[in-house]
Amino acid sequence: MKTVKMVITGAVNSGKTQFIRTISEIEVVSTERKTTDDARFIKGETTVAMDFGRITIANDLVLHLFGTPGQRRFDFMWEILSEGMLGLLVLVDSTRPETFRETLRIIDFFTSYRESPYVVVANKQDLENAWSPEELRLALRLPDEVKVLPCVATNRESVKNVLLELLYLVLQTAEEG
Amino acid sequence: MALVGNLRDFNLADFLYLVDRGYKTGRLTLKRSDDAATLYFEKGKLVYATQYSREERLGEMLVRIGRITEQHRDHALRLQQGPYAGKPLGAILVELGYISEEELKRHVRTQIEETVYRLFTWSDGEFRFDAGVLVAPEDVMITLPLGVENIIMEGVRRIDEWSRIRDRIPSTDVVVKFVDQPSDRAKGVNLTPDEWRVFARINGKDSIRTIAERTGLSEFDVCRIIYGFISAGLVELVKERPPLPPGLSAPVPAERPKRSLINRIIERIRGM
Repeated sequence: MKTVKMVITGAVNSGKTQFIRTISEIEVVSTERKTTDDARFIKGETTVAMDFGRITIANDLVLHLFGTPGQRRFDFMWEILSEGMLGLLVLVDSTRPETFRETLRIIDFFTSYRESPYVVVANKQDLENAWSPEELRLALRLPDEVKVLPCVATNRESVKNVLLELLYLVLQTAEEG
Repeated sequence: MALVGNLRDFNLADFLYLVDRGYKTGRLTLKRSDDAATLYFEKGKLVYATQYSREERLGEMLVRIGRITEQHRDHALRLQQGPYAGKPLGAILVELGYISEEELKRHVRTQIEETVYRLFTWSDGEFRFDAGVLVAPEDVMITLPLGVENIIMEGVRRIDEWSRIRDRIPSTDVVVKFVDQPSDRAKGVNLTPDEWRVFARINGKDSIRTIAERTGLSEFDVCRIIYGFISAGLVELVKERPPLPPGLSAPVPAERPKRSLINRIIERIRGM
């Protein structure tokens, strides 16, 4: 059985757990506990370890989805998680500009270590006052070649579209065979 | 739908960049406990700005600076209430020959620009951008589309807080380079002599600290100048690899997957 991996990251409360929950065929494995930092003001409980979901591709192939902690103190996890990953999704809460700076830090951290394909996911597009993907691109000063995709992580079709867009990107860099 | 937030997280320079590059039309409202301001944009250009605590009607401003008399102002205002109803005061003053159109534009432009420059000193305050909202004709002295690049540069010159500059420039050890494709509009930015000195030293190799040493400017001044360049979309920081967390070795380059494998995953997800 071969397993491949996608990593979903983003700032606190960007929707990582929900994203995986919406598409995973198994109940998402999350390690959550009360936090004592600023995150508690936002969520009360937040992801401090990981989320794990799974999609069976075929009898011999499984796609694992890992949600990574967005907080700075969990940077050390990234190296472990990103080993062998197909690509990365960076989720942004499109309604909260106060998280844009942290999102940029995450993107910078990732792009400085890995050349794996990644897309930025403008989540919560269904909420009032959501910044559009193009507005987010300008706010985050992302170059044109970086895809910024609209998403509603509670919507299965929306999540599927985002995964497919990342896979198309992965396909462009894949080897023949 | 509106874009809402706080200047603490997304400052005015960031917002002007977004408006400029996004060709936005709409109204930006800024509020803090003791003051408020409103800016209007059309297709990325600033067309009007007013600050609550310094609100001054066109007629009052022109009287104050001695360009028209109180009698001229009152005459124009009376006409605005009667036969010239709905016509901007500035246009009436021009038509009556009390001031030339060129001079009127110059004063209005200065007033709008000074308003926005003062707003750059706000490090905190709620913002709300309502797309598509146009300035009411009766509020407009005269519509003057102003490019925001030079406003950003001048506004940034008013910033005197390290903390705000640190948001974008975390250290003087970072290296600066020109962006690959600067906007055509950014090429029209007016620079001061000191800014030119810094600009000419940017080579994608030297750190900000080195640039400061070679120009003889203080590190703060160089950082502030570069902060302006970044805000106007002229330059960007060279991304340095951050230090590895303790105990970890350098990462192995990512393995390239096979196309057949990716196609299988795509087919499966499409069918879900």
